Amino acid sequence: MLYRQKSQSQISIMMKLKLCLCLVIINGISACGVTARMEPYKQTDSVIADGERVVILARKHHATHEAEVEFVDCISNALANGSEGLDVYSTTDFEDQLYPWFEPSLAPLSTNDLTVLLERPGVLDTVENTGVRFVVWLDGSTDRTASGGGISCAAGVGGAACMGLAWWEDDARYDATIWDLQELNSTGTIYADFLGRSVMPAIVIPIPLIARPQAQACQGLTEQLRDFLTSPFGYGAGPNLG
Amino acid sequence: MQRERHHSVIKSVLFSLASGFLGSCASSVDIETDFPLPLIEPLPVRVGIIYDELFVRYEYFEEIPRQATWTIFLGDANQDLLDGLAQSMFLEAYPVESFPLTSTDFSRLDGVLQPELEKFEFDVPVGGNDEFVEVWMQYRLKLFDTDGDLVTDWPVSGYGKAELGNKEVALNRATVVAMREVGAAVSTRFGELPQVEYWIQERRDKNALPPEITVTN
Repeated sequence: MLYRQKSQSQISIMMKLKLCLCLVIINGISACGVTARMEPYKQTDSVIADGERVVILARKHHATHEAEVEFVDCISNALANGSEGLDVYSTTDFEDQLYPWFEPSLAPLSTNDLTVLLERPGVLDTVENTGVRFVVWLDGSTDRTASGGGISCAAGVGGAACMGLAWWEDDARYDATIWDLQELNSTGTIYADFLGRSVMPAIVIPIPLIARPQAQACQGLTEQLRDFLTSPFGYGAGPNLG
Repeated sequence: MQRERHHSVIKSVLFSLASGFLGSCASSVDIETDFPLPLIEPLPVRVGIIYDELFVRYEYFEEIPRQATWTIFLGDANQDLLDGLAQSMFLEAYPVESFPLTSTDFSRLDGVLQPELEKFEFDVPVGGNDEFVEVWMQYRLKLFDTDGDLVTDWPVSGYGKAELGNKEVALNRATVVAMREVGAAVSTRFGELPQVEYWIQERRDKNALPPEITVTN
């Protein structure tokens, strides 16, 4: 009788532990994710035509941040790939061929500066030779905005185990400003803010549930840019971010 | 005898581990890149360039206590940068040895440029929230006329930063960004320095004079 009660009590404790574990995992999974906000604004009806190219450049004049090289590469590659891929000019080649005019200290900050720049000897011809019509200026960065919790691990002769919960938030916030080198105006901007929350519960072993807001920002911004450059004024609601 | 041998083996192992550990804290970076030619109109003068040994074999060494030692080789990059700048900035540019100029150099050149790398500073974060390797460097460009008289002595600086990944790669990238900034400043602002503008105008006036007219003081 006593054995039976004890056995039932152990089963009950095991059930409760399993339930707790399930709740922690469900909480962890539901806490992990990316919240996306995109605000596209197009003010002209310019679209990219056959034989015209686009180049992606990073704004580098800020002291505190600049769009990461890998993010610029991600946008360039993603925009060029796929069945609806655009003709994307190499960022490095563009900056080298127009050196020193797109270095951080000399790069045009407005379309008025761009107009002055294109009047300099040789600059307009070089731009025309590249075939680039649209310049996309990327400004922003991905930063860790918050983190907390903690995990403790211990190891002994019989093995090792961890217990606890750690979490962190990364914010991928970027502006893409699109300039039309043919019309010498700003075609519009796309603002993207992807906030990713990652969690790592540890019950014996740490289980990383990592959100990747920068990768999602790259995907979202690329789809928006493709629509932006291929559809005229009022080009639709934007991509499905999943 | 057996115990001595064991001691010797342990010492060797400890020495190897210590050497390996210390070796891993010493970083050496040879700055490598291809600098593009500036898209500018050349100044209407022919210059010689004096590359002194310190400039073309420039090495920066810094020991950061309890962190690492850094050796950065900038000599080749220095010469590549200045070669490209001189090629685009002037009608013609040749390396020359030193003053006084040979009679050939004296007749074919309008002036002589001597670059120096005056200061090099860098910061590689080892923790905290810093995400960038930063480099700041200051060059000094001295322009002489063919007699060796100083026309201008111009300090020009550049700043570069690069995302911290591999420290050596990031330092190379930040240094290249800083050098490109220096190149941008030199190629766009050197010709606008008042002393240089005046000197160029002087050379232009002198070359415009008919050969039979001699200028006397």
